[in-house]
Amino acid sequence: MPIEMAFGGALFPGLLVLFCVVCALLWALDAVAGRRGWYRYVWHPSLFRIAVFVCLFAGLGLLLF
Amino acid sequence: MSTVSSTATPNRGAATWFSGFRGFLGGEADAWLFVLRVTLSFFITGWLAMRMQLPQPGTAMLTTVIVMHRQSGMVLAKGFYRVLGTLIGAAAALAVVALFPQQREPFLLVMALWIGACAAGATLHRNFKSYAFVLAGYTAAIIALPVITTHPGNVFDSAVARITEVMLGLVVSAVISDTVLPVRLRDNLRNAVRNQYANFLEFVREALMGQLPRERMEQQHLSMVRDAIALEDLRSSVIFEDPEARARSLHLLQFNQGFMAASTSFQSLHHLINRLMRQDAPVAARALLVLYRPLGEALQSSPQELPAEELAARIRQVRLELPARGKALRAEINDAAQAEDFEVGTGLLRRFSQELESYIRARGQLLHRVAPSKGVERVRFVRGNDRAGAMLAFVRTTMTMLLLGAFWAVTDWPMGANVMLLATIFSGLFATAPNAARLTGMVLSGYIAGLLAGYACEFMVLTRMDGYGLLVASVLPFFIIGPYLTTRPKLAIIGLGYTMGLVNILAITNPMTFDPQHFFNDALSQVVGLGAAAVGFALLPPAAGSRWLRRRQMAALRALVRLAAQAPLPGLRHHFESMSSDLVHQVVAHTVPGSDDSRSLLAWALAVNETGRALIHLRHDVARQPLSTALHGDVDAAVNALAVFFGQPSRQAWQDADLALRRASDAARADTETPEISRQVLYHLRLVRLAMVDDRSVMAPYIVVSDASKEGVINAD
Repeated sequence: MPIEMAFGGALFPGLLVLFCVVCALLWALDAVAGRRGWYRYVWHPSLFRIAVFVCLFAGLGLLLF
Repeated sequence: MSTVSSTATPNRGAATWFSGFRGFLGGEADAWLFVLRVTLSFFITGWLAMRMQLPQPGTAMLTTVIVMHRQSGMVLAKGFYRVLGTLIGAAAALAVVALFPQQREPFLLVMALWIGACAAGATLHRNFKSYAFVLAGYTAAIIALPVITTHPGNVFDSAVARITEVMLGLVVSAVISDTVLPVRLRDNLRNAVRNQYANFLEFVREALMGQLPRERMEQQHLSMVRDAIALEDLRSSVIFEDPEARARSLHLLQFNQGFMAASTSFQSLHHLINRLMRQDAPVAARALLVLYRPLGEALQSSPQELPAEELAARIRQVRLELPARGKALRAEINDAAQAEDFEVGTGLLRRFSQELESYIRARGQLLHRVAPSKGVERVRFVRGNDRAGAMLAFVRTTMTMLLLGAFWAVTDWPMGANVMLLATIFSGLFATAPNAARLTGMVLSGYIAGLLAGYACEFMVLTRMDGYGLLVASVLPFFIIGPYLTTRPKLAIIGLGYTMGLVNILAITNPMTFDPQHFFNDALSQVVGLGAAAVGFALLPPAAGSRWLRRRQMAALRALVRLAAQAPLPGLRHHFESMSSDLVHQVVAHTVPGSDDSRSLLAWALAVNETGRALIHLRHDVARQPLSTALHGDVDAAVNALAVFFGQPSRQAWQDADLALRRASDAARADTETPEISRQVLYHLRLVRLAMVDDRSVMAPYIVVSDASKEGVINAD
């Protein structure tokens, strides 16, 4: 994945794009987990969500860059 | 906040004192936890912004102050809409600057128009959606104004920097408020649902004992409206906090819809019984009370402890027995008119018990662990808005901006942009508040206190400090006063002003610059900006709460009958109910409880609700099974006459509507082609007519007592 991406002539860091993608991903995961009630098995749902986000973001970042 | 137990007797003073003290401590703990969260996010944001070398860490820090809220759901909701508003505002700023990079006058004009349009948009929405509009206007100003005088070419960099700073502040606030000892909005929602359910069942049970006075019904209508609106407001914020609540959001909407439907039917039924009771020989009313009793008995045994499913099953049982019992009771009534009235009541009772059952079932569904997602009808809560109020906000904000812009252009005051910025923020923020001038005045007093504290902090303390740790230590004592004040309901607005003033004037940067001249220029311009917003509000006060707007809202409320009479049918019932609830709520929020205005409003609200609902049911029935052409024409005429009467009530219109109703009723009674459906239509018409001739309702001044209509009241033609 390129370090910087050009949108309409402006350069954006690739990480920012990845950040947005992971946000969307997390939102989808969240919707599924909420519907299925998976968060009932978690002690602190919001901490858990943030942890998942960090894992995804860091993992994908390391994988792609 | 925990409540103080009220069971203690006077001779146990020590215990009372102790529990009072514990309540106080509980409240204080909540308040200080909130202060802790705000402080944490404030300083973490500042540190991160400096690490990332953002040009104005102060903007990021101000963001955390603006979104501070006790409950994490509120922070997340506000943050979400703030992101939207910021992005849209940035796009607008780029567009405006690109259009007029060299000409100051057209630039200021377009900017003022944009900000005015955003303020107008804010009045058309509720809660944080309206906040997004404010932000869209404010962000455009904060990006474009500082660069337009010096380097218009830098506007893109300015936009990127502002967006980055705002986003940083939002992310940190969201994470902190959601993880550090969070206060959940979900619990409030749960309580709201539980209370609404318990109160409503309690009221139904109480009402079963007999006649309810009209005042009590009006009070009940008011509290129903409040409950429905409060639940909707909570729902729209909780979905940001809790994925489970989001999955269930549709069920919540349905629950609320069921609540509004059941409580409207119940009121119609009660008004009908009350009216029939006033007749000389209330045979029908007595029979209805007998018919009604089993429902009361089903509810009698403490419904709170009974699982919702079981209660719903009981009510279903009662409902299934209704037709047979109705038939038996009807056989005892000899008078044809009385029998007809009784049938009207039976229909209402059947509908009410059905709605009550589905309401209770919806409650049961909310208690389930995981919400089933199939077969749920999409419903929307529709708000009733007034375009004139929005227009007023538009004119006020645009005028304020233009005047300030002209002032800036003429005097060449380097801080002119600052004045406009502050005025933008507050004229948008309070555009929907009823007493905006007073609120802005309070913010101003808090703001000035914040500026003074800022002076002390900047020039007496910060000059001696070095490093971020010491910066935190020296700002902290000045800072925490603000968030703490906002936890006190009476001082909240002042606290907001104080915090914003302090953070804005400190404008913490790295490296920090100490420039007393700039400080005073800045402080003065901010006070002038706030003052200009206050003057704008005083000169062109927001329409909310004014007699003029109230009259318009009343007209809008009555116009709902036209909506019920003419709008396309699918989804109309909920559309009608949510809109009327929202309108009533808007008007009630700005009238003194118990005043003449509020009473007349409630009386009209009841009449509109009853008639509108009956019309919608009538139209549903007719849509299902077509009427004969002649009858259809009569019914159409009656429906239209009613819409006309509610649109502009007058004795003449009342007479026309009454005549049309009677003609349609006669036609329905005589109709032989489609007897079944014309009976149904007749009952709906009869219900509407009984409401129209009720001389104790809001109709009283319009009733024209002719021989024919008088006969209609007592003898049903």
